[in-house]
Amino acid sequence: MSSYGTALPTVARGILSSCRPALREKSIAPSFSVFQQVRGAKSNPQARGKGKKDTKSDRKGPREFRQKNLKDMEQFALCDAMRYLRAVEVGREPTVSKYEVHIRLRTRRDGPVIRNMIRFPHAVQTESRICVICPPGSKQAKDALAAGAILVGEDEVFEAVKAGKIEFDRCLAHPDSLPALNKAALGRILGPRGLMPSVKTGTVVEDVASRVEMLRGGTVYRERDAVIRLPIGQLGFSPEQLRDNLRTTIDQIKKDASGLNDRVNKEIYEVVLSSTHGPGFSLNGEFKTDNSPETSALTGV
Amino acid sequence: MVNLFKRMRKLQTILDIRTGTGAAIFPSPTSATKEFPPVTRLHLTYARKIYNGHQGARHFWRNCLPRLKYHNPGVRMTVQQTDDQNAPPALTIYFAERLSSTASAIIGAKKIADKHAPAAESGEKTAVVDLKDLTYKEIWSRVQASTGAEEVPASAEDEVERKRLEAITAKAGKDRERIRGMRQAKKDQERMLAEARGEVEKLREL
Repeated sequence: MSSYGTALPTVARGILSSCRPALREKSIAPSFSVFQQVRGAKSNPQARGKGKKDTKSDRKGPREFRQKNLKDMEQFALCDAMRYLRAVEVGREPTVSKYEVHIRLRTRRDGPVIRNMIRFPHAVQTESRICVICPPGSKQAKDALAAGAILVGEDEVFEAVKAGKIEFDRCLAHPDSLPALNKAALGRILGPRGLMPSVKTGTVVEDVASRVEMLRGGTVYRERDAVIRLPIGQLGFSPEQLRDNLRTTIDQIKKDASGLNDRVNKEIYEVVLSSTHGPGFSLNGEFKTDNSPETSALTGV
Repeated sequence: MVNLFKRMRKLQTILDIRTGTGAAIFPSPTSATKEFPPVTRLHLTYARKIYNGHQGARHFWRNCLPRLKYHNPGVRMTVQQTDDQNAPPALTIYFAERLSSTASAIIGAKKIADKHAPAAESGEKTAVVDLKDLTYKEIWSRVQASTGAEEVPASAEDEVERKRLEAITAKAGKDRERIRGMRQAKKDQERMLAEARGEVEKLREL
């Protein structure tokens, strides 16, 4: 700009400078409206209704999540979908690949969402290994072992961790052994792995055993954008096992939906079976068709 | 959730699982002949990188194994990826009771051992095929010859579907070219205008 200023006569300079604010306003205006679209629309009523452009972004979208008609969607019986998914997942580590289910709901955009925990008749997780730090020989230690923890104790756990042997995926601690834990200074080792028990993350609990039980069997799910996604089985499951899990899930979600509120109406719209690497297969609710293979063939690796 | 139409489009890839190289049925206990006993399992071992002839084995896993698994859901198939680039990639075929009559000829005189393959159960006989420097099609032809697998021809609908998808792909290529041309023309226009403006400013500065 300065190079202009020196070259141009004074009148021209005046014009230029008077132009400047106008120019700037123009360039800033669009970014403002974007900002308002993002967070101002609902939360800040005062910011609305300034200027013409904003009237458009004021308009609310559809009240409900739009769900397309499924008539063109090819739907599959459970066994057929499994056959394809098993073909896609061939050669993968059977403990890594999982069947997943996506349950689409017909629901409003606002209002409460479904969130809950479920215990499957056939556990999905391949034995998440849990370590419990509590005074050895105490009642909690026995309970934790009974509930399925693989490593229980104080000093022996610390020794093992310091030696670099971390053979667990979750770590819980009892408040009684918290001082010992802090003294052992394992934060350096466990912290980066997200295994360090702390009150904040809820991994320091009184009732260790029930927590172990919960961590082992339960799967947490919640509704996001009208879809509930959760892993539902290991790749080695038989179609019957998967069907049992699926039935439990759908029953519980129906229960959740009816228990929410009288005014909120949620219903299941589509159930999609997928896997870790596979495409999604919309299920038609049938178990098998005439062309599907024997269920024993769809089991195992 | 992903857009319904995207999902539908993606799902059409299952055509590739049904048909193509490797869409064949192994002899089962009911359809086995004296020449070709039933196949019970397959195991593939290959290394992580492609040099030393490991490429074909990986392609075989990517391309043929899903089709084989689809048409033979009861045959167990495992794949082991190793870091050992020097060991030859190997496919172990497990036959029930006895080797097929052609298997020994396919394997050749040079016997290799695959230490990652699961041990044969009682009554199983194994044939280990050396896959080094073979393309996946060559591997498939060997597997087919040694097991007597019967190809599943694509059905008429699948054929129609494949043609339709091919047409879409061809159209997509053309469209991409067309749009690229349009965008390039627009860019050229803008550049030209910018240059012209630059000229004017230069003149003004003088």
